[in-house]
Amino acid sequence: MSFEQLAVGQEFPPTTYELSESVISKYVEAVGGQQDLLTSGIVPPLAIGAYAMNALSQSFSVPSGSIHASQEFEFLKLVPIGTTITCGGKIAQKVERGRLNLLVLEINALNQDKEKVLSGKATIVIPR
Amino acid sequence: MNQKLKLSDIRQGDSLPSVVKHITQREINQYAEASGDFNPIHVDEAFAAQTPLGGTIAHGMLILAYMSEMMTEAFGNNWLEGGKLSVRFKAPARPQDTITTSGKIDSIENKEGVTYVNCSLESCNQKGETVISGGAVVKLSQHCGGKKT
Repeated sequence: MSFEQLAVGQEFPPTTYELSESVISKYVEAVGGQQDLLTSGIVPPLAIGAYAMNALSQSFSVPSGSIHASQEFEFLKLVPIGTTITCGGKIAQKVERGRLNLLVLEINALNQDKEKVLSGKATIVIPR
Repeated sequence: MNQKLKLSDIRQGDSLPSVVKHITQREINQYAEASGDFNPIHVDEAFAAQTPLGGTIAHGMLILAYMSEMMTEAFGNNWLEGGKLSVRFKAPARPQDTITTSGKIDSIENKEGVTYVNCSLESCNQKGETVISGGAVVKLSQHCGGKKT
């Protein structure tokens, strides 16, 4: 889906992830830290952020040369290992600025009780 | 989840416990596997060599994980449940870079009985170039009883 085809307010289809111990162990090993959280049975919040961003990236692709320029996250609730999260998002803003397009995406993650555990915003710079 | 800082110890101007990580292509590949982000700019060395970046780069979210690790170390559950992070990606981190993530307490505010700690954060490579910069706010809803190390 190209930049022109994306509309402000457009929502991305939700994607579900089961944050099992094996999934989080793999994440903790990859980031080389946060072993304490694994031991305590808590999902590192940036793992949820990573899955939320991945969910969006499955919905559309950006051209080569695009840059992830900025990122915001708010961690709203502790997420125990074993939680199933559903990640979604929408296009919050599209800006055409000179030779660049800016795309602002809102993201969120809900637990299986439909409680929001994470929200965030990503800004992607796309060459025109 | 214990944290290294105690509420009574927190002062404006204090530094947060820094996190130092050496990045290799192996770590980047591992992160791709764990996160599901297989963008070739991260994992395909031949492809990345042909781009203006001239080689693979680490996922920005990997470096952000180091920031979150530092904040978790400092603030424990207060970060995990009530933390806010806002950053800009300034430059790519590459294989063989050593990334030092550091932070400082800029201010401490009390609003309606709740304490908010405002921090500035930065991740730099071994040349001192800023890779990520930004800020974080921690809501101290849980009194800190963690062990100070």
